[in-house]
Amino acid sequence: MAIVPGPTTLLYLLIAVSILMIAFLIARPSLTANRGGKEIAFVVLFLLPVVVASMGAAEHMRRSEETQFCLSCHIMAPYGKSLRIDDATYIPAAHFQNARIPRDQACYTCHTDYVMYGTIGAKLRGMRHVYVQYLGKATTPLHLYTPFNNRECLHCHEGARSFEEGAVHMAVMPDIKSNQISCVSSGCHDSVHNASHVDEMKLWQEPK
Amino acid sequence: MSAPERKMARRLRVSGILIILGLLVEAASLIRIHPLSFLSFMFIGGGLLIAGVLTYLISLISVAHPPPPEKLS
Repeated sequence: MAIVPGPTTLLYLLIAVSILMIAFLIARPSLTANRGGKEIAFVVLFLLPVVVASMGAAEHMRRSEETQFCLSCHIMAPYGKSLRIDDATYIPAAHFQNARIPRDQACYTCHTDYVMYGTIGAKLRGMRHVYVQYLGKATTPLHLYTPFNNRECLHCHEGARSFEEGAVHMAVMPDIKSNQISCVSSGCHDSVHNASHVDEMKLWQEPK
Repeated sequence: MSAPERKMARRLRVSGILIILGLLVEAASLIRIHPLSFLSFMFIGGGLLIAGVLTYLISLISVAHPPPPEKLS
């Protein structure tokens, strides 16, 4: 079976090649005296760094969507744990455990904005989280900056038969779709992360 | 080596060293998946890379080269 190198491996290779070529140019700057040398210098000192930096940025952006990235901050640990609550009424847990969302992008899938430039907005919010974590004062329980928008639920559920034909949903459908009634409002799907009580709850053990 | 060539060579070295440092920071930032890795990539690695590339570009336009010798007819 052929082994296909991942993006990180390719990036490491490109970084190593770039460093070797730059080191060679530093050791022999006289190479740039002629036209060919000048062209090589342009590739090595301009094009390669730009390409490597762009690939690095894309890789970091991809990684910032991973569940592991979000949960790497200590304050997020209970929220990560809540994905394993053994109770189907807990919305994040039910989605995570039943693979309704990709498990390796669990936080991002529900907490990004499904609008134009929503991903950029989510990244900027992430930067704000980092600022608050390291330079501000993060207090538990954590609160969203803005109320959870039904749009994020409807991105997947709108048009699904189980959602559209549900008796309760049908009765208030216009209000759900116009975000007048929140999906996570009291009496509906109001069991969300419940991070402050997660230690008292039974957790699902993923089979190995 | 003439004075402009020495100046150019020195700037190429500075540019190369800055870019190598930036690339090393980028490589190190890829080891862990963590917000601080992202920040170090963006601000430290990115800063060094931008400084290195700018140093190189500035060296291209700032070092005066003597005009080529006129061809003998």
